[in-house]
Amino acid sequence: MADRDKIQILKDALYEAARDHGSDQRLFTQRDLLDMQVIPQDNIGLLMQVIQILCDEKLFVGNTTASGLSWRWRSREDAKKYTSLPNSEIMMVYAMVDEAGADGIWNRTIKNKLNMADSLMKHCIKYLEQKGYIASMKNVEHPNKKMYIKANLRPSDRATGGPWFTEGELDTAFINELQEIVFDFIKQKSTYTSHGGGAGVPGVGAQGGGAQQREKNPKKGVVQGTIPHSEDISKGTKRSAGEISNDDTAAPAPAKKTRPGKPQLLPLPAGYKSYPTVSDIAKFIHHAGITNNTTLSEADIQQLVDVLYYDGLVEPVKVNGRKGYRVTRIPKQDPRTCNQRRLDHDPTKGGIVTSFMGVEPSASGLMEAPCGRCPVYDMCEEGGPVSPSNCVYFRRWLDGDEVQEQVISI
Amino acid sequence: MAVIKEKAECCTLLVDELYGQLPARVYATLFQRGKLSVRLISQFSKLSARQVKNGLCVLQQHNLLFYSVDANSGEAEYSVNHEYAYNLVRTGKILEMVDNSYGPAGRDVMQNLLLLGQTRISDLVAAYQAKINEVNNDDAWLNDKKPELAIKSKAQLNSVLCRLIEAELIDVIHSKTFQSAHEIEKQVHREVMDVYFSNGIKGTKAKIEFEQRVAEGLRKVREESKTLKRKLAQNGGASKRRKLAVGNETNGAPEEEEDLDPALDPRQVIRINYEKCIVELRSRRLVQYVNETLGETTGYVYGQLLKQLTKNISRCKSDPLIDALTPEEKVTPSVTTNEILDKVKTSIDLTLGIGKIPSKSISKSAAERLTPLAPKDKIPFMNQDDSDDDEEDGDYSDSDEEMDTKKENGDAPVARMSRPEQLRQHLLLLAEGHPGFVRHCGEDEWTVDFKPLMENLRATELDSIIEQTSGRQGLRLIRILRTKGKLGEQALQSLSLMRKVDLQQKMLEMRLVGFAHTQEVPRDNKADPKKSIFLWYCDTEQAYSSLIAKCYATMVHCLQVLEVRRQKDKDVLSLAKRTNVKGKEKDMMRDESYARFAKFLKDERLLMAEMMRIDDTLALLQDY
Repeated sequence: MADRDKIQILKDALYEAARDHGSDQRLFTQRDLLDMQVIPQDNIGLLMQVIQILCDEKLFVGNTTASGLSWRWRSREDAKKYTSLPNSEIMMVYAMVDEAGADGIWNRTIKNKLNMADSLMKHCIKYLEQKGYIASMKNVEHPNKKMYIKANLRPSDRATGGPWFTEGELDTAFINELQEIVFDFIKQKSTYTSHGGGAGVPGVGAQGGGAQQREKNPKKGVVQGTIPHSEDISKGTKRSAGEISNDDTAAPAPAKKTRPGKPQLLPLPAGYKSYPTVSDIAKFIHHAGITNNTTLSEADIQQLVDVLYYDGLVEPVKVNGRKGYRVTRIPKQDPRTCNQRRLDHDPTKGGIVTSFMGVEPSASGLMEAPCGRCPVYDMCEEGGPVSPSNCVYFRRWLDGDEVQEQVISI
Repeated sequence: MAVIKEKAECCTLLVDELYGQLPARVYATLFQRGKLSVRLISQFSKLSARQVKNGLCVLQQHNLLFYSVDANSGEAEYSVNHEYAYNLVRTGKILEMVDNSYGPAGRDVMQNLLLLGQTRISDLVAAYQAKINEVNNDDAWLNDKKPELAIKSKAQLNSVLCRLIEAELIDVIHSKTFQSAHEIEKQVHREVMDVYFSNGIKGTKAKIEFEQRVAEGLRKVREESKTLKRKLAQNGGASKRRKLAVGNETNGAPEEEEDLDPALDPRQVIRINYEKCIVELRSRRLVQYVNETLGETTGYVYGQLLKQLTKNISRCKSDPLIDALTPEEKVTPSVTTNEILDKVKTSIDLTLGIGKIPSKSISKSAAERLTPLAPKDKIPFMNQDDSDDDEEDGDYSDSDEEMDTKKENGDAPVARMSRPEQLRQHLLLLAEGHPGFVRHCGEDEWTVDFKPLMENLRATELDSIIEQTSGRQGLRLIRILRTKGKLGEQALQSLSLMRKVDLQQKMLEMRLVGFAHTQEVPRDNKADPKKSIFLWYCDTEQAYSSLIAKCYATMVHCLQVLEVRRQKDKDVLSLAKRTNVKGKEKDMMRDESYARFAKFLKDERLLMAEMMRIDDTLALLQDY
């Protein structure tokens, strides 16, 4: 019958036209399909027939939206999978899994939505799994739910938990390592290392006069000792920032505040423009190639930096609308990197170090007293079973160190 | 007058520690029962009226009481002045502070005032005179090692007193000193009513006027204690010159300087003004904080700035009743760079403490940006940045480029700055970013917004306490809750990047300590707990108040432990008190006894020091 052939041709033409006009996520309304100029004379009846055939062949998927019916196309391979399924139950289950996409779907949801008998659904799922059409997956948000996903899809970030999860478990070791790296990076970029070194520049005093003199003839004794820098200086402007700062601060630094020879971190002047931003950090991480099998987006790094901020280790500084980060409590920071600190740390010297990032919290009187950490603080009262007069913690606190002292004196 | 139990206990124990058991018992009774007459005190405390009077006398002398005369019965009724009682614990800090800024002479006077309580100037002068005479007559030529006196002459005493009065650290007692704030307020109310509103207050307009008049009256009362200061200011021609000598009095300030001071009215009764002392202590604390966050040189600069700025600030927290209605007073004082520069010691190297980088990488415009207006009262802890400063940024970056190119032409990569410029660098650093130590309020003008700054510092203190109790992860969770508000466990988990088990354990831990709380939100009327949503949140105000209570309680415990130790070593201590032993304990006592004695002294020092350190936290949380 010519009519049927015609519809066949129109069907293929419409399918191809739809494919040309958008991805398999795009919804086409009736108007959209007519506007493709495939159906002659905007014949709605004909269009209906064509769409019906396409839907039967699973090449089109119908959708109801607020504005009415619409359709999206499905690839021929996928359609073939549908048509190859033996019965409509299996097809429906497969359709549910297919709809859920990369997030996967819980088997209870399938059951409830399709109102299907348990055994029948199990049979369907088993069939589909055997065929290799769907696979079971794990979702970090609901680790106890049995979920299914189309076999050829990778579970979405929401389901796997993003880069911070490995096999459904939060990878704390990885996070911690990465945090240390980010922290070190920010520390290095947001502070100035003053080497309170011994290289004596005589008489670089505090007075403004001295500074001006230096400005006039910079060749004299400004540069720090060991390596002869004079050539560099004669070249003038070509020096790198690091070198320059060295010769200027190294000398005055030991004058008062620092013990000589010990590098110390100093804050940078106000208005410093290059505090590292999140994108700087992301670039650094990317180029360092630390995470070669996971790619970290800027948003991921932002999450990491936010955690550092919540930990009180870094703080945002806004300069000209550019939000960079710097470490907090700069003068107290250890100039070594976290890793170095870990290597240098001597476990026999006591003190359990929980983190090598940042500084110990500043001491507060309350926490130093035994009461600050007392487990029975709430019931401690003079006259009660636990009271300050019979407090073991106070006794240990006051007498404990004396016992040690005596040992030492012997 | 509501006082938490821990504070009442703490104050009573402090009085006990310093002035003995009798006053302490009277004080405890007053704390328990409120305002009482002598008769009632003796009834409640089971002390005889004579004893009660003795106790009250001591307390009154040290300004630890308020009293008012009941109009009907004609009996005086007493109540506690708990602020002053608590301030006793700050004695050491105040003395140290005075020692630092006014030299040992100032400290000596201050110490005597602390010991004596309120004192008539003539009495103080007489006491010092007696001491000076004693040393001078005491065969000075026989005894080489005569004790070095901090105050060497009456004139010097006078001058020191003038300094302290000018600094408001000492003020004058007047008729209303012994009335509680509430009492004074009532009285002023009555007066205003009698004078201006004999027909009653009608309408909102009259109400406002009434409030203004009351505030005025209260202010007048408050100003009364400053009479001596005003008098000094009136013939203050000399004060300008004198300021140069401040701090150098140890090396014997020139006699003539001292002569310039007007003699103080010997009939005036003076006492220590704790309010101003606390202002000074606050400055010290701020400097400490800057030392930690930005470095010592910057901290020093900040100290000088605060010194200038707080000269005319008499109290840390303004009274809502008195100060609310005076906009002209609200204009916060500011200092200029040059004023600070004048005070910075020449030995300080201002190039220290800030990293040196080429000026190319500094945005001048961003650093120098002025913020002429004080920040509005924002909700504390909610995300504060990102809000208002974005629109301006565009303009700035343009001009910035220009500046940079200009800079590049002159080929000094590291700008070598003049001293004022070096100083400015420190000030700019202070002004930049969180927590706003300084506000750059005008070209070369600087001011400090104490209220938001202290709020920030309070949060920092709380943070460090949380970090010490619950670790860094605990701090992380609390800070997330603070910025984001109430959160469910899922959200908290994804923000904190913590394992579910760890998170739950940590939150539970903090729930027990009282840092975090839960809220249950039922989904439907049945309120099935299985279906309810549970939200975590933190109540910072509550955390503060529980911390404050804990601070007081810990101090109480320290004092109690000290008392226990004292009882334990009673025999040794009584031995050490004997006049023939006193001063040469080591030689006179047996080794074993001496060891115990030394140990006791060590414990006492430790416990006292601990109390002072707790007070640091406490003061920050409630007084600064």
